[in-house]
Amino acid sequence: MKLLYKLILVLVGGVCMNTYAQMPHDAIYMNKNSICIAATYANSQWSEYWENNLKRENFNIGTHTTQSVMPMIAYGITKKLNVLAGLPYVSTKTSAGNLMGQKGLQDLSVWVKYNMVQTDNGLSLHGVLGGSVPVSNYVKDFLPMSIGIGAKTATARLVAHYKHKSGFYITAHGSYIFRSNITVDRDAYQADDRVYNTNEVRIPNATDVAARAGYYKKGIQAELFIDKNTCVGGDYIRRNDMPFPTNNMKATGVGFYGKFQPKNIGFNVMARKVIDGQNMGQSTTFSVGFLYQINFKTKSAVTSKN
Amino acid sequence: MKKIHLSLIFLTVFSLVVSSCNKDLEEPLREAYIPAKLDEKGGTWKTYILANANEVAVAEPKAVNSTEYQDEIKKLKNTVATITPENKKAVSYWGAGAVYRWNEIARELAARYNLPPASNAEGKYPVPDAANPLADPKFPFANPPYTARALAYLSVAQYDALVAAWNYKYKYNRKAPSKNDASVSALLPVSDLPSYPSEDAVVAAASYTILVAMFPGEVPLLDAKLAEAKNARIWGGMNVDSDISAGDALGKAVAAKVMNRAKADGMGAANNQALTTGMIANAKSMGLKSEWLSQEIPARPPMLPNYGAVQPWNFDKATMIAMRPGPPPSLDSDEFKKALDELKEIDKKQTREQARIANYWSDGAGSYTPPGHWHREAANLCFQNKFSELATARTLALLGTAEMDAGIACWDVKTYYYYPRPQQFGVKTSVGLPNFQSYTSGHSTFSGAAAAVLGSIFPSEAERLKERANEASMSRVYGLIHYSFDCQVGLAHGKKIGEYAIARGKADGSGL
Repeated sequence: MKLLYKLILVLVGGVCMNTYAQMPHDAIYMNKNSICIAATYANSQWSEYWENNLKRENFNIGTHTTQSVMPMIAYGITKKLNVLAGLPYVSTKTSAGNLMGQKGLQDLSVWVKYNMVQTDNGLSLHGVLGGSVPVSNYVKDFLPMSIGIGAKTATARLVAHYKHKSGFYITAHGSYIFRSNITVDRDAYQADDRVYNTNEVRIPNATDVAARAGYYKKGIQAELFIDKNTCVGGDYIRRNDMPFPTNNMKATGVGFYGKFQPKNIGFNVMARKVIDGQNMGQSTTFSVGFLYQINFKTKSAVTSKN
Repeated sequence: MKKIHLSLIFLTVFSLVVSSCNKDLEEPLREAYIPAKLDEKGGTWKTYILANANEVAVAEPKAVNSTEYQDEIKKLKNTVATITPENKKAVSYWGAGAVYRWNEIARELAARYNLPPASNAEGKYPVPDAANPLADPKFPFANPPYTARALAYLSVAQYDALVAAWNYKYKYNRKAPSKNDASVSALLPVSDLPSYPSEDAVVAAASYTILVAMFPGEVPLLDAKLAEAKNARIWGGMNVDSDISAGDALGKAVAAKVMNRAKADGMGAANNQALTTGMIANAKSMGLKSEWLSQEIPARPPMLPNYGAVQPWNFDKATMIAMRPGPPPSLDSDEFKKALDELKEIDKKQTREQARIANYWSDGAGSYTPPGHWHREAANLCFQNKFSELATARTLALLGTAEMDAGIACWDVKTYYYYPRPQQFGVKTSVGLPNFQSYTSGHSTFSGAAAAVLGSIFPSEAERLKERANEASMSRVYGLIHYSFDCQVGLAHGKKIGEYAIARGKADGSGL
């Protein structure tokens, strides 16, 4: 059910970001003054979820589907410092029951990626800072139908990368995601096994870690990954209750990412399945993205060509 | 070097962003006050269950110059001198008011237990078992009818016990410890209200007795609350032990009598599902084309179909049936079509403001329900107006009985007409669909009654309360689970129900 949140992590936190020509969790940079624009469609579905730790189905939801379209842009400030931004339009629906689907523009996210250390033997270290803010006043606590939970986020991430001359690489990252409190439409709610008499809701912070192994050379990239998104604290979905933004949502996913971008135009695909979780749906996500890179002729680009 | 600088800048920016956010939640602070009026004649106010304020005897206390009392004062001073910061916090928490806090605790328990049972492997919904309250499904399922009733008995027990307490307070006239001995340092403001028996202990014991019966899985929590509520009066230098023990005994004895009514009010038969066949047949005999059907999968039996037969407080059965609203529009009428079209329109393009109103008043699963919402409003109004414990309990008893009456009368209407929900005609919902008949709206009936009762007690708030009730009523249309006629008729019905509580309040001798 917490689908939602997973969505957010998926869209903002890392997994779904797979759609950039480069991503906030990889070691790929664009040249100075290059711009890449991309558009990604993602479809995420679940028919079972973890109510706290209890894996269950829900006949009054059937299959829950979240779809998103996310335009994105990445820009090379220098070859070692890139900035990325994305803004998804999200919609939700269920195949059974009578919960009204929700749709709208979700959260604008911006990332800055910096190549901190680069050694000659292929090892590198990257620092990534990200932030996101909701751009529309969507309903945040109508889970699992809400398109997001509405928190502003700030993410600090460290990416370690090793690439062999052959093109094979491994990457690992860890992040801490600070999430702000939110306000909801009601002025009292149940969380942490008590009633809060306020409209302000404390959202737990989160972490995400991932490991990736793949091949990247001459515009072709293929990788397998495993990732884990975990809230730092939070409460749990009570027996037969609806989810709530305060829930301690956790998901471990495995997936494949592939990109083909021989020249300016390219595309990418991603598939990810949640294999373990808590307080959220066991989703399977597919995405496909269209990429277009614009290389401005700059002194450095010309120099590097020569 | 430059790289390290940039990394440092990154980290600094992140730390600034993170540290600028405070994640503590602000909830209203409630500081103790001296009541605007002490309600000295409170011992003569009309009770609900007690025949009179002397029905439960309270022994005369020892004189203030007796050795026994002086020893109690000495012990009290020792205790106050050695309390911990935790004790102080408890004193301040309970200083908001005994009725205020116990009502809040009851709402919290209602929210905790307001979860519908899950279906089992056979596609059935197990019925919660009072003898095994913490098993799955937990007992009770504190839905709106259940919560309305629990809060009514809680408030009635508090009120009757306080009327009795007021009687003995002014009969024996023992002053507060700090008024008898200036060297007792009280942590809270001290009024001229006589302190024997302790009103806080009376309310604590009465509330405990009711809540243990209503939420039998919460005995450990309630034991702790009861002990803390009583101890806080000692820690704060407000009462001596004999004030507390006399109050405790009185509260328990009165609440036990109130529970006798609860045990015989018909709630035990409220979930009699065998009656629904007859109810449907009756509705069809009056011309209903298609009856309410559970929209859940698997179909869930309707919530407490015989709750309409529970004994009301402020009127009798015949009166209830005499004021039962007329039938809803026929399902093939233009009026029905118009109401359904209104919902279909909202289904297509619900505005954010409509969603906000629907969410604000949703009070669905996991909440303290609409009666809880109105009890919160009432408790806050009593607090803001510096009501005495007794006047607060009276307000909540008038409201609580009106809310339970509203629930009973509304359920009678629902099962009498057995009218289908809009979801049976293809409409979705943004708040979740309650599993019982559509006509009339429970939210509207509860809110109409509550706004009427509270508006009569707080005339300067009457207009605002009426607007809130209207909004609560309309919220069910915006949330797409009621036709507008469900809501309009329910609101007017609720107002009529509230009038009976108002009439009782006018005649209870309080002059309020």
